[in-house]
Amino acid sequence: MNRRLALWTAFAATLIARAALAQEVTIGYQGLPYKMSGETATGIQVAEGVLLHVGAGAEAGYDSNVFYDNTNAVSSPMIRTSLFGEMTNATRTAPATRLTFDLRDGVTYRRYQSDNADVQNFSNAWMPTAGLALSTGGGQFGFAIADTFARIEDAPYTQGTRVPINRYNNQASVEGRWAPGGGRLTATLRYTNMVDIFQDSYQYASADYNYLMLDAAWKWLPKTAVFVNAQQGYVFYLNDAEAAANNKQSSYPLLVTAGLRGLLTEKTSAILQLGYQNGFYAGGQSTGGFLGSTYAELSFSVRPTMLSRIVAGYRHDFTNAVIAAFSYNETVYASYVQQIAGRLALDLSGRYVHRNYGGAFVDPSQADRSDDFIQGGATLDYFVRNWVYFGVAYSVLSNSSNIASVEYLKQQTFVRLGLTY
Amino acid sequence: MVNAKVLLTTTFVASTVFAQGPAPAPIAPPSAGGATPGAADVSVKQRPTLTSEEMLNQSREYNKNMNDVLKRIQVLQDQAKREKDIIRLNCVTDKVVQVRVNISIAEQSVAALQEAVTRADEGERTHEFTRLTIVNQKVQVLGAEAENCIGEDLSFVGATKVDVEIDPNIPQYDPTQPPAPGIDIERPGEASPLTG
Repeated sequence: MNRRLALWTAFAATLIARAALAQEVTIGYQGLPYKMSGETATGIQVAEGVLLHVGAGAEAGYDSNVFYDNTNAVSSPMIRTSLFGEMTNATRTAPATRLTFDLRDGVTYRRYQSDNADVQNFSNAWMPTAGLALSTGGGQFGFAIADTFARIEDAPYTQGTRVPINRYNNQASVEGRWAPGGGRLTATLRYTNMVDIFQDSYQYASADYNYLMLDAAWKWLPKTAVFVNAQQGYVFYLNDAEAAANNKQSSYPLLVTAGLRGLLTEKTSAILQLGYQNGFYAGGQSTGGFLGSTYAELSFSVRPTMLSRIVAGYRHDFTNAVIAAFSYNETVYASYVQQIAGRLALDLSGRYVHRNYGGAFVDPSQADRSDDFIQGGATLDYFVRNWVYFGVAYSVLSNSSNIASVEYLKQQTFVRLGLTY
Repeated sequence: MVNAKVLLTTTFVASTVFAQGPAPAPIAPPSAGGATPGAADVSVKQRPTLTSEEMLNQSREYNKNMNDVLKRIQVLQDQAKREKDIIRLNCVTDKVVQVRVNISIAEQSVAALQEAVTRADEGERTHEFTRLTIVNQKVQVLGAEAENCIGEDLSFVGATKVDVEIDPNIPQYDPTQPPAPGIDIERPGEASPLTG
């Protein structure tokens, strides 16, 4: 849960980060660090067993392509500041044993410092985030709820347009866990709801996502399990008329997988899963075929030393798409995190996604669209103390497509400074 | 011939008898008046010079000392109970039982001593006083032993403690759990050149 909340904070800060779900690492540009890696001495004790963490940071840099344009890129200096606070009953060295809560709140302000009139239309953006996680258990029964909210605002694709891409996203989940006996068998039942609301140009894609997941795992080693996972979803669009006008249709995505999760060696963990998937789109044009009905994931995480981690993975799946019904995705991702001398933190990550869009298209002229998307990020932070840092960062986004007009290359560089306690 | 044999035998027996030297004096019985001059004194001193009144006073002193010892051991017993030190408690309790038995004997001796004084029976008086003295010494020894009873801190190794060393490379979280809930969101693709 905490990692997910951290991910959201980073997401809201960068707009472009995406989780590689398998290992729960953030791929792409890393937002301002939540705290120094391995740091356990920070936090203000506000009550018995309750710690308050606070932080603030600022980034100043350069955006090479504000509008994600393929021919006439407009660049601009930019600054980004972030504030966050977190209250938790997890101790400085370990999570609370019986009942754990984590409450986070933050806001990111982004400003483009450009004289270009088109850019100035989008010079200011406020993006708040909030998160709550509560879990109890640890014995035979467990229970958890979580909720995260983020508002995301970014410049549109087209210069001259006065309306930014505004998105409000809230994800909530509730789950129960049952681990009879000594915990070798574990069953998890989880309901997840996501309300995804766009404003203006993309409001036809505002949707409500509902997923019910049942997972059963058998630990044949203490930290290695084989599992069976079934997930049934229901996705519907909030604006019926606009959705229908843009060929958006409800769906009942089904995913059934089986595989292995956990440690292969003391330094290597893996997720191997294979299964069946189907979008069951209401309009008739749905996922299909052998590959289209196959879900596959292979992911490895290796810790060569106590101060480094390497993640690499591959995934074949489909996801609901905004510009079409869905896209088949072939994703390859990798991440390398290294701490040097206890002060320097290096993070390199990237992913490549080949997307084949399918189903009904919003813009029928884009039928058979296929994109090759590349995302990369690099950050290097030096912690002067365990609560103050400065660093440099680089981000790249690139999209190649069989439709030339949607291609772009966007690069951002930053220097950054922050406090976190 | 026969006379020669008799003579020879008599000579042999006589030489054997005279070779033994003079016979030792018989051991004198213990005397209340003191050792006979020239003889070893192996008797136990019983302070026969004490008067009846002094014996009664001394017996009361013994009785008080023994009860003091009993109280002290009971304190030790309570202390062991509070500390839940079962080994020490067993040891101290054993001493308490023995001390109580000895005190009971001592009380009988005191009563008998008083009767003997009343009857002016010197032998009985001396006997009971001697018995009381021995019992008192025994109680003092039991008191010292109770003080030296040892408990778990020395003889008990304590509760079983298991130290587990986990390779720090092994993640603390449970990697067998399904991934945390979350649906990826990202910037939507460009729907068409005219779309915002």
